[in-house]
Amino acid sequence: MSETVIETISLTKEFLRDQFHVIALNEVSLEIHKGEFVALMGPSGSGKSTLLHLIAAMDKPTSGEIRVLGHNLRELNDREIAHWRNEHVGFIFQQFNLIPVLTALENVELPLKLTNLKKPERIEHATTALKLVGLGDRLHHLPRQLSGGQEQRVAIARAIVTDPALILADEPTGNLDAASGQEVLVLLAQLNRDFGKTVVLVTHDPHAAQFASKVHYLEKGELV
Amino acid sequence: MGMLRYLPLILKNCWRNRRRTVLTVASIGVSMCLLGVMIAMFHAMYLSDATPEQALRLVTRNRISLTQDLPESYGSRIRQVPGVQDFLINDWFGGTYIDQRHFFAHFAVDSAKLFAIYPEFKIPADQRQAFERERTACVVGRDLANKYGFKLGDRIHLVGDIYPGDYEFVVRGIFDSPRPSEAMYISREYLEQSLPEARKGRAGTFALMLDSPASATRVAEAIDSQFRNSAAETKTESEQAYLLGFASLLGNVKMFLIGISAAVMFTILLVSANTMAMSVRERVREVGVLKTLGFTPATILSLIVGESVGISLAGGLIGFLLSMMLTSGVGKSPAGMFLPRVPAFQPAVAAACLLAAGAIGFVSSLVPALNASRTSIVEALRSTD
Repeated sequence: MSETVIETISLTKEFLRDQFHVIALNEVSLEIHKGEFVALMGPSGSGKSTLLHLIAAMDKPTSGEIRVLGHNLRELNDREIAHWRNEHVGFIFQQFNLIPVLTALENVELPLKLTNLKKPERIEHATTALKLVGLGDRLHHLPRQLSGGQEQRVAIARAIVTDPALILADEPTGNLDAASGQEVLVLLAQLNRDFGKTVVLVTHDPHAAQFASKVHYLEKGELV
Repeated sequence: MGMLRYLPLILKNCWRNRRRTVLTVASIGVSMCLLGVMIAMFHAMYLSDATPEQALRLVTRNRISLTQDLPESYGSRIRQVPGVQDFLINDWFGGTYIDQRHFFAHFAVDSAKLFAIYPEFKIPADQRQAFERERTACVVGRDLANKYGFKLGDRIHLVGDIYPGDYEFVVRGIFDSPRPSEAMYISREYLEQSLPEARKGRAGTFALMLDSPASATRVAEAIDSQFRNSAAETKTESEQAYLLGFASLLGNVKMFLIGISAAVMFTILLVSANTMAMSVRERVREVGVLKTLGFTPATILSLIVGESVGISLAGGLIGFLLSMMLTSGVGKSPAGMFLPRVPAFQPAVAAACLLAAGAIGFVSSLVPALNASRTSIVEALRSTD
């Protein structure tokens, strides 16, 4: 059995929305191992994205334990979590979320500014990442000058540029046409297969889930 | 080096909404310009040192008001006070050249002493001699000559009001001065001869030349105590203080300058705070993205504050440059005659404009920046812009 990189034990997330008490995740326990490509599936509101946010330490659980890459995330302070996330987690959003005033190269370079790398090294790493996703000829394009698929590939380059062990993708094909979506999924599969990255993909698209080696279903905040 | 690597991002963010940035820079620039002029005036009026020539001069005037005169006979008694080398009677003529719109200063003085008491006035020897020799002669400052095109030999017709009657003077000299020189000097002796007996023997002010700047306080006290309890008490003061007396006719100039400056600062702070709040509100989602990439709340705070301070400093710099131009204009205007010398470039004004602008940028962005840096990632990403 390979190393466990994500482990949740009775993970629960509750919050108040407009005075209503909502249980987004209820006692979720799961394990994801190194090198796995896992899809989290379920209908809207099932808690998929909430689980992904907790794995990325973008949110804090109400109760339960969560260990990611050997760290108990509840024991880290905000600053430590920020550094941990920069070093170990690459996050891909549904809406790309590129910074509009920065070029593709500058967007990809952004996470590297938090490292000790010098400018030439940062540029080299960012260029390599963009070439890896097939955008070596779009380095100096602004996001508005790219297609949706290209934007998402820039976002993937940004997610992998720090060489994180874990790639978390929140419905990365949700805003793309079928062809572009396919390209993104192939890219994620390639990162998993060729570079040994652990990939967790949130999707409600059965086609996307086919790229995963394991699928977890969530419904009403519970693993089914 | 920490924040320097974020400078390109800060600059690009500053330029993100160009129209808003330009308007913000412009509004801060205009405000800082006003502030710069106020500070330059305040500095020149209340904090600057006298020139070497000014330090050697005192002015004795009527204690009651600038508009009251003194007996001419005071001159000989003033001259006897130890430390006084010489004196010059200086009367405000106050006539009209063409009409009220063509205002400039006219003084009636002892023509033989003018250039001795004011050695900073530079004039060719032959022109000076012609002025001293001829009763109807006048000398004009270079600024005035340039403004009206006066040349040697021209005749200037003045209609007197303090000294009623029509007067005609011949330009016999044009002098240069380090200060604004839209002024004309005529012979007091000629003027006295035109007055009725009852009005003769009066003097507007006495400009005193001292043997040393160190004597100033002692001489001023000696003169004023000599005439205490007389029909016309005197007030002897430095030339700078005397010039400020003109400005103070407008009211409490010091409070006026401070009040305007404070109002300018407060108003622009509100405008800037509103702009920054809008700017940050539009980018809450991006703050969530930056945090997801690993940016700490402290770095986010620095980025937003840095952006605001950058915009404000650009406004401050432009404001300072504008204030230099305006200050230079004030110094060269006819009003500059009655103000202490106001240098166009003053390091203190530059520092004040930039510091004030920086402070406005910092304070106005602090609350939005703190709020943004404290927003949770999930909440920020949920923002729909």
